Amino acid sequence: MEEKTLTEKESLELISQMILNTKQKLRSGSGKPFLIWGYTTFMVSLLIYYLINKTEDYHYHWLWFLIPIIGFVGNYLSRKKRQKHSKNYIDRVISYVWIVIGISGFLISFATIFVRMPALSMEVLLMGIGTTLTGLILKFKPIIISGFFAIASCYIFFFIKGSEEIIIFGFIFLIMMVIPGHILNYQQRRRHV
Amino acid sequence: MFKELNPLLHSELRLGIMSILISVEEADFVFIRERTMATAGNVSVQIEKLSEAGYIEVKKGIEGKRTRTVCKITEKGVNAFEEYVEALKSYLDVSR
Repeated sequence: MEEKTLTEKESLELISQMILNTKQKLRSGSGKPFLIWGYTTFMVSLLIYYLINKTEDYHYHWLWFLIPIIGFVGNYLSRKKRQKHSKNYIDRVISYVWIVIGISGFLISFATIFVRMPALSMEVLLMGIGTTLTGLILKFKPIIISGFFAIASCYIFFFIKGSEEIIIFGFIFLIMMVIPGHILNYQQRRRHV
Repeated sequence: MFKELNPLLHSELRLGIMSILISVEEADFVFIRERTMATAGNVSVQIEKLSEAGYIEVKKGIEGKRTRTVCKITEKGVNAFEEYVEALKSYLDVSR
């Protein structure tokens, strides 16, 4: 493109071509954050389940706080590595959704230090809402389905007691975030080939 | 009656930059250069002109070891772009 004057028709063609081109090239909805949070939650759940079963020491529940630490650090490093050159409306809305969900999720975890509550069930419901909303904003069916699956599965915790609920919690995250995260990445790679 | 076409926007590269910025919330220099396929020097000059006219907002920051220039369209820029498209329509309606 150069510094030259256009005819009226050329101008209009240029505008529509640039808008279309920009829309197609945007990398909205990369599956990476889903993979980071999904794998982290799954691995931490397995670790806590194993340690509690082995030692019966419930202090290991403190290890839940590893999830936000690993998740935030992982996300920060991943963003730094793959710098985004543009930001659109969808990016902004999705980040707002997860800021609200993240703060609420942290408040629930924090409250469990003082009050007994069905925290795992509440976390699954909350993260399921965030996932479903993300899927709807991106118009990406696998994320919408996995999000609704998580919302529905929050009832499971009312029927299961003991450390088994920890392992189920981990597997729900595996289905809710890891699987659609991989599908999203795979589809985006194919689109950009 | 023909409406006058804004000379600042009636140039290939500046119109290209404005069309990109109207479709995103913000974009950096690298993104604009890649999409317009223009030289860095040329893009830089046109960004400066659009910024002087108040059509775009330019923020320079440092990320890692490099400088990062981020551009964002302003309300004045959106209005100018809309007026430009309206003016274009008046030409094209007559030529039909």
